[in-house]
This record gives sequence, C-alpha cells and structure tokens, in this order.
Amino acid sequence: MASHSHSLNYVGCNFLRQRLVLSTLSGRPVKIRKIRAKDDNPGLRDFEANFIRLIDKITNGSRIEINQTGTTLYYQPGLLCGGSLEHDCSPSRSIGYYLESLLCLAPFMKQSLRIVLRGVTNDQVDPSVDVLKATALPLLKIFGIDGEELELKITRRGMPPKGGGEVVFVCPVKKAVKPVQFTDPGKIKRIRGVAYSVRVSPQIANRIVDSARSILNKFLPDIYIYTDHMKGTSSGKSPGFGLSLVAETTNGAFLSAELVSNPQGEGVAVLPEDLGTDCAKLLLEEIYRGGCVDSTNQSLVLLLMTLGQQDVSKVLLGTLSPYRIEFLRHLRSYFQVMFKIEMKPSDEERKGGEKVLMTCVGTGFSNLSKTIK
Amino acid sequence: MVTPFSASAIVFLPLCGTNVAGLRFRTQDLKTKKHHIPVVDRTPLEPPPVVVVVVGPPKVGKSTLIRCLIKNSTRQKLVEIRGPVTIVSGKKRRLTIIECGCDINTMIDLAKVADLVLMLIDASFGFEMETFEFLNICQIHGFPKIMGVLTHLDTLKNNKQLKKTKKRLKHRFWTEVYQGAKLFYLSGMVHGEYQKQEIHNLGRFISVMKFRPLTWQTSHPYVLADRMEDLTNPEDVRVNPKCDRKVSLYGYLRGAYLKNKSQIHIPGVGDFTVSDVAFLPDPCALPDHQKKRSLNEKEKLIYAPLSGVGGLVYDKDAVYIDLGGSHARQEREEEARPNHELVQSLISAHSTIDAKMASSRVSLFMDSKPLGTEDVENETLFTVPKEEKKMDTRTGRMRRKAVFEDEDGEDGESEEEEEEEEMSMDENGEESDSEEEEEARGEQGGQDLLGQELVLRTCKRLRKATAQATPGELPAFADSDDDLEMSSGDEREAVLEEHMEDAAGEGQTSEEEGGGLVEDSDTEESSGENVPESQAQRIGNKDPELKSMTEEEDVEGLLKEEEDYKEASDFSVDTAGALKWKEDLTQKAAEAFLRQQQSAPSLRKLIYGTVAEDEEDEGKAGGELGGLFRVSRPDKESKRKADALDCSKFPVEAPKDWDLDEVMDSIRDCFVTGNWEADKDAAKLLKDDELYGDFEDLETGTVHKGRPDDQGDEAGSGEEKEAGGGKGTEEAEEKQQQQRMDKKRKLKEMFDAEYDEGDATYFDDLKGEMLRQAQLNRAEFEDQDDETRVQYEGFRPGMYIRVEIEGVPCELVLNFDPHYPVILGGLGNTEGNVGYVQMRLKKHRWYKKILKTRDPLILSLGWRRFQTIPMYYIEDHNGRHRLLKYTPQHMHCGASFWGPITPQGTGCLAIQSVSGTTPDFRIAATGVVLDLDKSIKVVKKLKLIGFPFKIYKNTAFIKGMFTSVLEVARFEGAALRTVSGIRGQIKKALRTPEGAFRATFEDKLLMSDIVFMRTWYPVSLPTFYNPVTSLLKPVGEKDSWTGMKTTGQLRREKGIRLKQNKDSLYKIAALLTALGTVHKHKLKKAKANHRQQVKEHLKVKQKEEEAKLKRQKEAKKKLYRIIGQREKKRQKSSLKGSAGRE
Repeated sequence: MASHSHSLNYVGCNFLRQRLVLSTLSGRPVKIRKIRAKDDNPGLRDFEANFIRLIDKITNGSRIEINQTGTTLYYQPGLLCGGSLEHDCSPSRSIGYYLESLLCLAPFMKQSLRIVLRGVTNDQVDPSVDVLKATALPLLKIFGIDGEELELKITRRGMPPKGGGEVVFVCPVKKAVKPVQFTDPGKIKRIRGVAYSVRVSPQIANRIVDSARSILNKFLPDIYIYTDHMKGTSSGKSPGFGLSLVAETTNGAFLSAELVSNPQGEGVAVLPEDLGTDCAKLLLEEIYRGGCVDSTNQSLVLLLMTLGQQDVSKVLLGTLSPYRIEFLRHLRSYFQVMFKIEMKPSDEERKGGEKVLMTCVGTGFSNLSKTIK
Repeated sequence: MVTPFSASAIVFLPLCGTNVAGLRFRTQDLKTKKHHIPVVDRTPLEPPPVVVVVVGPPKVGKSTLIRCLIKNSTRQKLVEIRGPVTIVSGKKRRLTIIECGCDINTMIDLAKVADLVLMLIDASFGFEMETFEFLNICQIHGFPKIMGVLTHLDTLKNNKQLKKTKKRLKHRFWTEVYQGAKLFYLSGMVHGEYQKQEIHNLGRFISVMKFRPLTWQTSHPYVLADRMEDLTNPEDVRVNPKCDRKVSLYGYLRGAYLKNKSQIHIPGVGDFTVSDVAFLPDPCALPDHQKKRSLNEKEKLIYAPLSGVGGLVYDKDAVYIDLGGSHARQEREEEARPNHELVQSLISAHSTIDAKMASSRVSLFMDSKPLGTEDVENETLFTVPKEEKKMDTRTGRMRRKAVFEDEDGEDGESEEEEEEEEMSMDENGEESDSEEEEEARGEQGGQDLLGQELVLRTCKRLRKATAQATPGELPAFADSDDDLEMSSGDEREAVLEEHMEDAAGEGQTSEEEGGGLVEDSDTEESSGENVPESQAQRIGNKDPELKSMTEEEDVEGLLKEEEDYKEASDFSVDTAGALKWKEDLTQKAAEAFLRQQQSAPSLRKLIYGTVAEDEEDEGKAGGELGGLFRVSRPDKESKRKADALDCSKFPVEAPKDWDLDEVMDSIRDCFVTGNWEADKDAAKLLKDDELYGDFEDLETGTVHKGRPDDQGDEAGSGEEKEAGGGKGTEEAEEKQQQQRMDKKRKLKEMFDAEYDEGDATYFDDLKGEMLRQAQLNRAEFEDQDDETRVQYEGFRPGMYIRVEIEGVPCELVLNFDPHYPVILGGLGNTEGNVGYVQMRLKKHRWYKKILKTRDPLILSLGWRRFQTIPMYYIEDHNGRHRLLKYTPQHMHCGASFWGPITPQGTGCLAIQSVSGTTPDFRIAATGVVLDLDKSIKVVKKLKLIGFPFKIYKNTAFIKGMFTSVLEVARFEGAALRTVSGIRGQIKKALRTPEGAFRATFEDKLLMSDIVFMRTWYPVSLPTFYNPVTSLLKPVGEKDSWTGMKTTGQLRREKGIRLKQNKDSLYKIAALLTALGTVHKHKLKKAKANHRQQVKEHLKVKQKEEEAKLKRQKEAKKKLYRIIGQREKKRQKSSLKGSAGRE
C-alpha cells in the first residue's frame, strides 16, 4: 500500500492538535519533528502527552511513536471508535483545549461518543466549556449534526491551578455533513451569559452581572446573565470566578467572549466589576469583528465545510486569526482543499470591521467508521 | 357477442368503502414508489463523453458493431480498434466506445466505469455465461444502462423460429435487467457490416439516452485512459531496464472532482499518488453552439490515440502529429479505399483543429501561458523529425513514443524557461514600458479596446508579459506577509503606511511611464486632500494591470469596480469635514478600499502562497520529502511560530475604547436595535420615512453616489423618498401608487403560491434544496478562469486531463496492451489505507461450490481487485460473531478480511480465480461492506473438558480442565455442563491437584460424567492483501494471473495426501467398535436363532419321518394282510378246485 509514502512532515509543537485531528480524519500519517528541540525542557509537555493519550483512547488501531526525548512524534491514525469513555485532562490546560479537538472528531466515530472529561473547566488561555457549549454546539447543528444526544453538561466546575471540574460531552454520529451557506449573520437579538463563581463569595457573580449589563444595555435591552455559583464537591479544588457572554443573532449566529479571574496565587486580584466591564467590552470587540461564526470556532466551521459533500459551502467570517490561517494551510495539505477568500469591506459604517467570505467545495467526506446494519 | 354486463355498467357500479380506500392507497403507493431520494445534481455543464462498453462472448460481432458505430457518426473506418475510441455523435453527445473481452478482469474493470453497456448476444446460440457474469458484475458495482443487441439473426432461416427465439431471449433479458429493457435486433450483415439503417437507429438511441447517476461513480473521480506516455529518463532505463517508471496518462475526467496530489488506484496495477495533473484542450470537443440540426463534416471528430487516430495531439509541453505513418502504409497493402478515407479524414481533422487554434488561443500550461497558433506551429516543426526517428524503432505500436520529450523533456524545458526569463529580464524595462503604455491607452480608449488588444497580441509577448507579471507579484506577497505579522502585533496604521509607501514607489514608476493614467490620479490628488486615498487608487490601477496579462476577462469588471470606488471616494472627500467621525470614516473607507484591492488577492497568497512558486519550491525540496508535500509557510516565520503556544483563541490586540460614542457607533447596526437594510427594515417597508428622515438623507446620499450598482434598491428608495418628501410632484405620487400596487400584487402572489402549495411535502422541500445547491455549485466558480477554478474545486469532470504518476512498475509500460483498459480510479481520503473490512456476503446461487473459511479469494471492491483471506461468520442473536467453516448454502453470512478501507455500502463480488476460463459460472459470492475497523471480534467455540474426581451431594471436584490456579481464577463463576445435561458453576480453585477446582451442580454427578465448559476463543485473521496485478503480465498472458493458491489446490498439484490427525479419528474408531459389537451380537443372536430353528426343524422332520414309517408299516401290514388273505383264499379255492376237479 502507498500508506507510508504520503505521510506529512512538520516541525515544532505548535498546531499539534490541528495536525493530529486532521491526520485522524484524513487517514494520513503525520510526523512532527523538533518539538521544542531548542528549549531547556525539550519534548512534549504533559498536556500534549495527555492529548495524545486522549486521541489514542478514542481511536482504534492508531500507531503513535515518540522518541526518547519526546522531540519527534509519529502518528499513524486508526479509525475513530468512540463509545463511553472517561478522561482525566491535564490541569495545565483547560478542558477546552481537549474539547475543541473532540468537537471536530466526535461526529465521525463508530459509536456515539459519551465522554467524561475531568480537569480545569475555565482558564485564561483556552476557550472555556461554557463558551463552547453556547457557540460550538449550535454550529454543529447547522451542519446537520444534531439530535437529542448532542449535549455538553458541566457537572462540576474546576478553576486553575488545581482543577477538579467535570464535563460530560455526548455527541451523535453522522454519516456525512451537510453543506452550508451562512453568509448573513443577521442582527444580534439577545445576549446571554453565565457569571460563575466557585469557592468565593456568591455575591461576586451578581457584581459581575451588574457591571457587564451596564455596558451592554447601551446596545440592547434583551440581556440575561445567569449566575452560577457552585458549592461543595461540584466547585472543584481552586477558587475563582469569571464571566462568559454570548450574543445571538436573528439568523442563529453566536458570538462569544469570556474572561476569567487570575488563578489563585498568580497575578493581582481582579475586581469583579472590572472583569464584568472588560468582558462586555471583549464581546463588543467580537461583535466588531463579526461574521457568522465567532473567532473561537472558526476552525471548526472551516473543517466542517471541508468535510461536507462535494458541494459549495459559504460562510462569512470575521477577521482570520493567524491560527486559522495556519489551519487553512493544513486543510490544503491534508485534504487538498483550497478556500476562495473574498474580503467583504464593511460597506455600512456601523456594522463593525471587515469580513471575509470563505467559499469551498467539500471533499465528499463520509464517516468510514460508522457501522451499517 | 353482447354480455349482460357491459363495461359501462361496471363503471357505474357503486364501489364499496374499502375499495375506495384501497384504490387511494394504491395510487398513493404507486406515487411514492416513483420517488427517489433526491440528490444534488452534480453533472457538469460540459459532460465527459459517455462510456459505451461493448461486451459479449467472442465472435459475436463486437468489433464490427464498434466499427459500424464509428462509421455511422464520423464517416471513418478504423481497421483495428485498440483501446477506447472517442467520437462526437451528436450536438451534445460524445461517446467513448470500448470493447470488453471475456477476461473477467476486464469485465469487472469496465463494468465500474461504464455509463452504457451494449450487450451483444448471439441469437443463433442464445445466452452465454459471459453475458450473465457481466450482468451480475454490473448489478454489484452500480447498474449502468444496459441495452441488449441481438446479432447473427440471419442464421435463423425459419421465420417462425426467428420470432420464437427473439421472444424467448427478450423475456430472459428482461428478467435479468428490468421489464421492458431495450433489446436491439441487428438482422444481418451487408459486406461484412451491419445494416446501415439499424446502426443509425442504434446511434440515435444512444445519443438521446439519459443516464442516472451511480453512487460510486459520482463520488469518485476516474479516468479511462486513452493514451499513455513513458516519461522516465532514458538514461535511467538504459542503466536499469527494470527501474520504476514515470508515466503520464491521458483521458477525460469523469465522476467527481479530482484533486492534485490525491491518491488513485489503477486496477490491475496498484495504488499511486498523483504527482501532477494538468488539463489539456479537449481533443474531441463538442461543436460550438449553432442552430443547425445536424453536425457538419468538420465537427464529426474522432479521437483514439491508441488506435492511431486523432490527428493533432496536444500535451502539456509538446504537440504530436499523427500522419498515419506506418499504419497507413500497412493499411494500403491490405485495402486501398479505407486508407484513402483515413488519410483524408486525418487531413480534414487537422485543419479543423488548426482553424480552431487560429480562432481561439489555448492555454496548454499549468501556469496559464496562453499559446497561439504560431507557437504551436513552431513546436510542431521542431518535433516532427524526431518522432519519425522513433517510429522506426517502434513499429507495430499504434502510439509512437515521443522521443523529444524524453530527451529534451526536462532539460530542454528548463533551458527554454531560463532563456525566457533572461530575455524577459533584459527586456523587462522596455517591455513593461510599452505594455503599460498600451494599457493606459486601452484604459483611455475604452475597456473593449483593451480586451481586443490583448487578444491580438502575439504569444511571445504574452509569455513575456506573464514572466514580467510574476516578479511584479512576488514582492507584493512578501509585503503582505509582513503585513500579517505586523497586524498581529497590532500596528495596523503602521502597516498601512508602509503599504502606501510601497504603493507610492510603484506609483511613481508608473507615473513616469503611463502618462494617461497618472494624469487621472494626479487630478484626483489635487482635488482631494487625502493623499493615501489616491495612492490607493493607483495601487488599484496597477493591480489589474498586472492581472490583465493573464486574466483579460476580469479586467473589465475590475476596472468598473475601480471606477465605482473612485466615485465613492470622491464624494466622501467632498463631504468630509462636516463631522469629525466622518473624516475618520473616509480614512477608513480608503483603508478598506485599499485592503480590498490589495489584500483580496494577497490574503489568498498569504495563506496559500502563489501556486507557481509553490511548485518550484516543491521541485527543490522534492528529494527531501519524497517530492510530495511541503509546508507552505516561509521559513523565518515557521521558526518563530513552530514552538509557540497551541491556542485557538484570538486575543484582541488593541482594545478599542468602547466608552466613546464613535466607537460604539461602529457596531450599532449589528444589533436589532440599530438600522436595518432597506429590504428588511419593517419601518421602511411601511414607508414610514418621516421618522428617520434626516438620517436617510445623509446615508443615502453617501451610498447612492458612491456605488449605484450595488446599492440599487436603497438608492432607488432614497431617491424616491427625496422626490416624495422634497418636491412632491404628481409623477412621484403616481410612481408611489404604482409601487404600492406592485407590492400588493407581489404579496398576493406569494400568498397564493403558499396557499396552493399547501400540500408541499418534505420531499418537495428537499428537492428544492438540492436544486438550489446544484445551482450554487454551478454558479459559484463560473466566472473564474480554469486555472484558478482548478485550484478551488479540483479538476472538474469533463476536462481532458493528463495525470503524471511516478514509481509505476516497468511492466506496465513494457507489457502495455491497449486492448486492456487502464483506469485511474480516484480514492477518497482514507480509502488508501488498509484495515479489517466486514461484509455481508452470500454465495452466488449459480456457483457450484460453497466457500471455505481461510481459503484465498479474489474480491472486487471499489476500484480494486485483490486477493485476500476471508473468514466467514454468522451473527448470533446476542451479537456474537461466530466463525463458520463454510459459507451457508442459501443464506447471508458475514465475512471479515484484511483489505482496503472502502466506504460502507459498497458492493463487492468474489471470484476464486481470475485466470483462464471455466465452463461454470465464475462469480462465487456477492456482498456489501458493513463495517470497517482496525480489529475484529470473530470467535470460535472452544470446549474445555474435565472429569470429576470426588463427588459430594451436589458438589464435585473437577480436574483436568485447567493447568493452574490462575487459570481457574479467571473462570470463577463460569457455567459448566455435563454431557448428561446437568448444569453447574465453577466455585473455587483447589490447591492440589494443580488446576482442579470445586464446582456445584444442580444434581449429583456420577463419576462417569464428563464435565465441559463452553468458551469463545477470538480468531486471528491473516493480514493478507494482494492486489491483482493482471495488467503487469506479459501481452497475451494478461488473463493468467494467479495469486495464492488454496491448500487443496496445492495438495492436488503436488499429490500430497491429507494426513489425518489420530485424535480426529477417535470418534470413528469408537463408532466402529460399537458397530462391531452390535454386529457380533446380532450375528450371535442370528446364529442361536438359526440353531434353534434347525433343531425344531429337525424335530419336526423326525416326527414326520416317524409318522411316515408308521404309515408305511401300517400300509405294509395291510398289504401283507391282504396278500395273506388272498393267499389263503387262493389256497382255499385251489383246495376246493383240486378237490372239485379232482
């Protein structure tokens, strides 16, 4: 077979998740060299190793080879098997780090995935589970990945550094993905959010809500921010608080922003009021960037467009981040899919920044893992 | 005869209720039966030629039919047909006709690519096995249209018999295909050809035939190669004649989009990665749209390079001319007339293409260097003699090798390119000068003129122009690259400035050269105080200039846009100063405009790099990475980025001050509380314009003058409002009235439509959705040129492409036989990998034997034909996959094997051997793929046996089942059973003897009981996957591929007798002894019986004897007595007599 000849080669640890996820979906082996080769602490970090372990868990027959120093990784993907699983995520990255990749892979498993992830639910680096729940799941629904099973439940919250949170992610299996044309985001009709606080005063959440509303009320009356104060075992191991905001448009686009307090023992203490206003401003920034998909889920939407039927998919996005640009390059090398990129300047002055219209023809991907009877 | 109940009477009979319901049910049933799941119609606008496969047993008239069909539509006579022949058969229909022999490999391959099958049947003989085999193959790999053709009908002399035969064959054919399938009759031959009228009809039938899409074919790209060239370096071949070859294959792309660098499978050869794809001008193009009904002679093209027909043949970097050559001479010896025709047609074909070449330029190259007639002529002059040389060495082959390509192929090309580059470098200044002047003039004179000029240019100049254009583009790429870096570090402004500086520099150069253009921009500069803006325009002007070299079509549009923008910015400049934030807006507008002009192409370049550059780099890095892929991002960047934090969040670099009103205003309209677009705003729809009156003025004013085209609606409404509010003339009033009426009517129509389609079903909705998608698919990339389009969508079906493949086994080239089709089947993403495949399989009902587990079997699955070792299993009711030794006779069973990953639901057929012909039906089994995995869970039953050595009430100690305590521990709680049917359970292991355990049973055991435990043992499947490489066999032996043999075959060949395991015999021995005892016993019994019988018999006999003796005695006694009495009497009488006489 020609399976060895078409492996891809990369250098460096960045975009590791993208590479492994795309490798799994496209079935092409990948070799990543020089992972932090010049670093004082070379090789894969614990969270990366943890991620690889997770990939190993959800696939069957994949081959993973890591050299002794951990600077070279060879991954030959197997088939996604899914099922009922549990995984303890590394506390150095939040569950969002793992969940983002799982969102890409979960619809293409053999059995529907039901996974319990344990670790840090909200941190300052990665998108939190709240945001993913509010934005990524509706996005999957647009692509025809829906059903009652599609669910992301936060059973316990865990803040950095110790974590202790727990999330249940359930996703149904689909044979193929629908092409989408989502070029008109519509107008924002409501803003929702969650202000959470664990192991701190429950009053903090209310203070966050008030300050956030003070900013957002200038634009829209329909704002509701839930306060979520968790106690006891469901509050994790470290104290902290934060806010995640989601703006929903008339056409079903979701834009999100979030902010989390500094972890215990790191940095200066953050005032809940400041956090609320800052987060609200971040949401406004996100709205300024605009598009039909918020900046955290751009790669998910691009991936699902690529994996669609051999039809034209179109999505209007906000500014492309460097991470997405790299993702687009990866999509081309794995799937030979090139996007048509058209800049849409904001013709009207009051609708935020410029947008990018992404168009592509799907690869006609079909879920090869799913069993038919 | 009149019956009491006439038909009309029956009609008026009242139908009972159930009947009405039944009827309705039935009609509804019939209606839904016609529904198919709607699929997106992905047939290209210019479809590839229809693949017509002519199939039938030998000597049935296949070649004759093909010849007749070709002659029918092209007036040419091909003497020898090799490989596919493409002809134009109608205004909108092209055919690729290919003959299919009786080799099962060919039959399988061609069934997968066929659109239409002409199934030839010898009427004098009836159906043959091949026909049925082919039908079965078709059924499995997607059923193409099948048309039966009965030949040899003239051999049936008797008219009645003829009719009968026709009917019989028709009905049999119908049962195989479908009721009412078309069956054609070719009644007889005239001068070795079929009757003209019949062939004509057949041709018409084919031309109007419609085809339904087949799942496999529409989801995979494929090419039926009609030409192959060996591109290997001749030196390599000289050094090692068996070295792997690099070949290019040509053909029409069919099915789905083909992406460059994707994986393909060539049935009969193996898997490959496409190293390069290029599209070539259509060698057998459909006629241009005309209103005529029929084709003229020049449009009746034929293309069959393997048969040596086709006149000019274009390649990526060469042009071939077929002059008839050696074939023509051969033909002359054989027949005079056809040769004449052939030559004539060749000449005519040549002129056709030539004429076309003259009228339109063709782009032969990947990087879109348009090629004029002149160039082609040059090249042909250059190539012809070399070709002739090669002809001598390669007589007998219809496609002569391209010598010049091999010799000059790479070196010459690169040299040429170098030369070109040098030239362009030298002349760059002058050329660009003159060109830009031209450009500027063109702009002044009008856009149409520009287009004409571009067309009229000689190709040399064009090529230089492109050469010049590319260096022009490259720095832009570099710039924009920096751009991103900067912007990510949040210095938009700075970047912008930098840009403008660059642009200014460029603009200055252009100022010196292009007079008219600069004048324009100068005037604007003077009028408007915004410097960057005018520069932006200049950039905008320059951009299309560069582009125009390659994409003339786009020029007009771009220029128009540009003008629009000019106006827009003009206006904004004029009105600037009224508000502070507005000035900011003009800045922004300029910025946005600049970015649109500059970064629209550059964002693409930024992400994907320029394609040309990419390929060059690939060439360089080829050795390192296997020549396939390379990370497209520049090195410097990669070093910085490589080890960065892997985070998907997109942090805001420069948070705006959202407390300021201006900033807040910038997103005001993103909310429902903001302003809506004209067509959506409820307020505006209600014509409630008073409320926002003053704002409207401002907004529409800006927009209206800026972009009249795009903002048509809004502008219109604004205008109208102005008219209504300001002037209030009657005309405006009337207009409004009219509009209101229009709106009303429209609303009513909408309502009507909705009301009428009250019963619009889910099905209709779905169909509509599919239709919309199909339209979008067609429209999306329509306006782009092929080069760009190919990058976005891949090569689209209908294109004539050239596929370069490396690492092909030399046997494919050395043993190439054009009679065997070479198919390039595109593979999906994961389909190049191997794994365990599970199938639902059924032995074919016509196959004589059953199939045995672990016997090698040849499967045809997807594009592939391969040998593998399947294991059959059946799924128990609890989901367990239990191994079967043999396939069931008349039932489905599961089959697992190690093989290529193929999408679920793909059909599969199995044959035991592809070599030779057997009189029996060859298709052993059929199946469908259910599941793909990297492990299997087939189990077989294993019974562990033990013996009780101590028995208490219901407890027994069992030994002999396990060997250690550990083993027992593993099976604690497992169910046991005795032969007599007493059930039990394993409780606990015992210390001694090793492996013994305590078990409880439902009843007391006997010491003679045997205890057993049923377990399931996972079976391992041999990972054996062996593609059938039938195309690599020498010519004439292509149907003799044999793979792994079964043990049975080997034993038979080597004469090895099966050695039986003695243990396997125990059953028979025991049985024999048992039977022996029974027999002995029987014998004994019989003997005893016999003895008894004999005894009795003897007794009876004795009695009888005695009785007999007694009777005899008695009788004797009687007799003696009588005798005695008589004696006495005589004595007495004698005494008396003597006495009397005396």
